[in-house]
Amino acid sequence: MPDNAATLTKPADGKADGLANPLRAGIDTNRIKDPCNIVFFGASGDLMKRMLMPAMYNLRLGDILPSDFGIVGFSRSEFTDDTFRDEMKKSIDEFSRTGPAKDPMWSDFAKRLSYISGDFDDVKCFANLKKHLENNDKELGTAANRLFYLSTPPSLFSPIIDMLEQSGLGPKDNAKGWTRIIIEKPFGTDLASARALQTEVEKVFNEKQVYRIDHYLGKEPVQDIMALRFANVIFEPLWNRRYVDSIQITAAETVGVELRGGYYDNAGALRDMIQNHVINLLTLVAMEPPAQANFESIRDEKFKVLMAMRPIDKQRVLIDTARGQYGPGTMGGQAAIGYRQEPDVRPQSNTDTYAAIKFYIDNWRWSDVPFYLRSGKRLAHKTSEIAVRFKSIPHRLFGEAGDTLDNNELVMKIQPEEGISLRFSAKVPGPKMHIRSVSMDFNYGTGFGVVSPPAYERLIGDAMRGDATLFTRWDAVEAAWQAVMPVLETWQEVPDETFPNYAAGSQGPASADRLIQADGREWRKI
Amino acid sequence: MTTEHATPSDLEAIRKELARTVLSAMTMNFIVWIENPEHRDWILDAADKVSAKHPSRVVILEACSKVKGMSLQRATHGDDTSEMTVHAQRVTIGCNAVAPDQVRETVHALLVTGLPTVLWWTGNPFARRPTFDALVASAESLVVNTSGLSADESMVLELEKFMASRTPVSVRDIAWMRLSSWQDMIAQFFDNAAVREELFAIRRLRIVAGSDAEALYLGGWLGSRLGWTACGHDEFCDRQDVHIPFEHVRDGGARRVRSIEITTKNSVFTANVSDGDENVVILKATGSGARGERLVQLQSMDNASLIERAILDSTTDEVFETALRMVGTLLA
Repeated sequence: MPDNAATLTKPADGKADGLANPLRAGIDTNRIKDPCNIVFFGASGDLMKRMLMPAMYNLRLGDILPSDFGIVGFSRSEFTDDTFRDEMKKSIDEFSRTGPAKDPMWSDFAKRLSYISGDFDDVKCFANLKKHLENNDKELGTAANRLFYLSTPPSLFSPIIDMLEQSGLGPKDNAKGWTRIIIEKPFGTDLASARALQTEVEKVFNEKQVYRIDHYLGKEPVQDIMALRFANVIFEPLWNRRYVDSIQITAAETVGVELRGGYYDNAGALRDMIQNHVINLLTLVAMEPPAQANFESIRDEKFKVLMAMRPIDKQRVLIDTARGQYGPGTMGGQAAIGYRQEPDVRPQSNTDTYAAIKFYIDNWRWSDVPFYLRSGKRLAHKTSEIAVRFKSIPHRLFGEAGDTLDNNELVMKIQPEEGISLRFSAKVPGPKMHIRSVSMDFNYGTGFGVVSPPAYERLIGDAMRGDATLFTRWDAVEAAWQAVMPVLETWQEVPDETFPNYAAGSQGPASADRLIQADGREWRKI
Repeated sequence: MTTEHATPSDLEAIRKELARTVLSAMTMNFIVWIENPEHRDWILDAADKVSAKHPSRVVILEACSKVKGMSLQRATHGDDTSEMTVHAQRVTIGCNAVAPDQVRETVHALLVTGLPTVLWWTGNPFARRPTFDALVASAESLVVNTSGLSADESMVLELEKFMASRTPVSVRDIAWMRLSSWQDMIAQFFDNAAVREELFAIRRLRIVAGSDAEALYLGGWLGSRLGWTACGHDEFCDRQDVHIPFEHVRDGGARRVRSIEITTKNSVFTANVSDGDENVVILKATGSGARGERLVQLQSMDNASLIERAILDSTTDEVFETALRMVGTLLA
């Protein structure tokens, strides 16, 4: 007799279909259970080619997609199913992390790809889409589950959502399966436009059906922050205003605007990075331990942090913030052009390519602890990190004259290095009581074998599963816009006449240094 | 530092050197036993990869004749612009014709107290070997590969006997771990509740693999999950005492499964490696459980990844152990 209670026992009524599959015990699978159709609006765009279609193909290669799925591209470009498949194969061949698409997997995958050409404001095209999806349900077994992915320019988000509703593709008209929507960032360009978009969204979808994507949150090291905080006991007692002096969050890039000049010139660093990525990091480092590891608990705690962020008084914006725009400089020994010389950028542009802000979080844990946030393009090094600087020792007992007793510092390195660094003081061996700072570093080694999937693979898979942990809830989006609006408005009202004010390849503008030096602190070197 | 012959003073010198080393972080002691020179390079490569990702004190025990004495290497991580950080420490010890007690004592002296110790035994066989017994007594986890050196069933049987001895060590067999995608594929046939009834009506099982361990493990796994008993050599009986012949054929590359065929009263379920691409498996069902053909990309894992997974998951694997016991009774 087998000695494992988990083995199959046929029920007395002789029917086995009510039993769980006994072969599933102990098998670790990431496969998405629900069959579904995923519709990409903006399917002829750059994001689709570079990221989304390679992500879908790799989800298929990894056997993560459900057994029954359909992928439908929708955009204005004229493609047939076959020419769309050819285009998508080219994009996979060029951009997939697993290399070119090969048969027989490609042919099998391609059978499930189809395309609809149409205008985003033409209800007839959406009626076609509806018929097409219903046909997929019959032919491909997609069970009326639908995921819509808006990868179009933001101006088209509202019209598409409206058309979905008008054509009967909204969740209210789909009783047989689920309907979800992924919305690319930016979610609005300011608080008013974000609220207007949300009004359109909630006419059709409830919050649990909306997945606002911020691909930064799909990066593995960002998830490591929660592991460091909540899988260890030693940090929590120190993680508060009593021991923490300040926190610096940095997202520095070496790249310029590349091919995104047109978009970026209307956005800037504050909108493009601080309002979403950097503030998201702030919430992860400042939030209370969630009651559970589920997405609602985590998002609740993040939202509480946002609610506790002290609004920046407009009178203080020019004191508590700094902005910059890169001019010509040197990157890696090569001459680099300035922002205003970039393609599609206005020659007299006043757009910020660097933003730094000091925030406070008014709650018991963080009261009076400054959070210094900064992000910029064309800086000296690419680095994303969170540095928790602890307070000075209350009374100096040790150390010879001239010894510097640096504050303890815990640095969570997000990219390009992934790891943790802790700075502390130690006695130098010898007869005298010399004290010096030492750094204890842990770097996650280079991964091998099973590579962490890129953010888009992780996030699309999560949306298909219905896991919203790594997506941003509306209340958090709104609160983040509220936090930056006084800055946006003031910067708009008072253009910076010193632009460009930092050289490409430098540490950023001098005004950022003045911001932090006014508090007797220094930025960590980028 | 390197010495010609390992002596107590060598050991002391190595220990001093290790104590002097600034190590950034350490996750485990990792003992690796190597005795086959043909496999030496890939074993060292896999051990390096594992220790680079999981900073470790690695003790390489080389029972190959050409390695003598004791040496210390430090693996580093970093680039020219940053300060180098020691990432792993590797001590290599020549163990050819060295007494088991001496090996044990030397290894003991090198282990970092308070860290888990993993023994990756790549020798063949291991049962009744004093050196193995001495080393496994120091370890919390044992990693073996029953299809690593031989294609027949001998190593699986050895492992089954070792497990029966109830040595308090967590055991992982890479040969078993390599099968997880095949198990998932078989399970997929019966994820559909309407087809699950077929699990009660299996009449024949045929598995083709390049070495015996894989076929036996898959047969033992299926049998143990479904409450079968071994009722003869290569034959199972289900709960209704229906006899189920189990044909396992050795064909193709070592450690590779080529096909699985499950015949039930009304259906045939097959998983076959594609002729066009050996990393693609075609799943097919005919008869009353018929379904469209489905292609699955085999998720092949390299050795380092398998070792890593074995190390990270050190809890008791009940599914593995019951499958192994089933194999033991089948072959008894």
